[in-house]
Amino acid sequence: MEAIRRIHSAVFIIAFLSTLVASPPLLLAQAWSVQVDRVDPGDVNIEPAFRIAIYENLLVELAKTKQFKQVFRSGDRNASGPEILILKTTVQKYTPGSETRRAVTTVSGATKLNVRSQLCTRQGQVVVERVVDGNVRFFGGNLRATHNLARNVAQALEKSDLPAPTLAVRESK
Amino acid sequence: MMVKIAPFEQNRRALACLPLLSFCAACLMAQNQGSAGPASGSAIRVTHVLGFESTSNNANGELSIQEHTLRFQKSDGSNAQVGVASIQDLSLGVEDKQVGGTALALGRAATPYGGGRLIGLFSHKKYDTLTVEYLDPNGGLHGAIFQLNKGQGQVPKDELVAEGTHVSNPENQLTKPSTPEAKHGGN
Repeated sequence: MEAIRRIHSAVFIIAFLSTLVASPPLLLAQAWSVQVDRVDPGDVNIEPAFRIAIYENLLVELAKTKQFKQVFRSGDRNASGPEILILKTTVQKYTPGSETRRAVTTVSGATKLNVRSQLCTRQGQVVVERVVDGNVRFFGGNLRATHNLARNVAQALEKSDLPAPTLAVRESK
Repeated sequence: MMVKIAPFEQNRRALACLPLLSFCAACLMAQNQGSAGPASGSAIRVTHVLGFESTSNNANGELSIQEHTLRFQKSDGSNAQVGVASIQDLSLGVEDKQVGGTALALGRAATPYGGGRLIGLFSHKKYDTLTVEYLDPNGGLHGAIFQLNKGQGQVPKDELVAEGTHVSNPENQLTKPSTPEAKHGGN
């Protein structure tokens, strides 16, 4: 009986330790806060509603991942200190779709977005850079593409390894 | 050579077409009602798509401009507001959407012999979208999108411009949605 109890406690400790080992990216990233910059349309003729929807959805999706300590809006005066990364989003491609065309033909009318997302330090050093797509092909309105895009950006950032804040600040100096 | 169809069979076919026809007629009537022109008062019925201060997405309510304040009053009585002075930019757009939501989307998918596509061809409606960019007291940028009936977008825009709101591209106002499948490449 005593042996079984020991085995149980050993298994529990191993499971706990393996959970800790598996989660350092999250712990490390939570040392950072992020400030979402306004979306740069680049050379692309994107509607203001899409630009704003990408920005607002990014704020929601980044907060959902709990990867960062805090998520700040562009221009927020509370976003101060060295442990803040700035998320810059530049639209690279935009294919306006049509919900009616999707409903009628199924195969055409997709709304497609492609953006370059960069996480930068205040000094301008790029920490993470990803190119992300967001589309709506079958169901949903055109603005749903912005929600899908923001979710994909948040997932891409969640998967990426961020440096420790002190290291990143020292390197940029 | 004439093919005779039994009167009973004829009636059955006519009855089968009736629900589809009545549905299409209802959709067309809904479209006409939507383009009935701007509201006379300052409060306009809108759907909040996203982004406005402490308001849930896709909430219906009334948008009004009173005492230098842009106010969104939800159907349940609660309201949210921002000062007109904090509005940084304003733009209008046009959006073409399918009506009926998820229920009709499922109905379309379930209709046999491609009937769903035919329904989809008629069950769409054009809306105006009003996009408002404003700053909160901390200087944080917010963006809100409202969906209005077609032709009503100009009313709040004119009122906000009269209150001194900045409009970045006044010549591009009420921009039509770009041609589908026309790609805009940045690089």
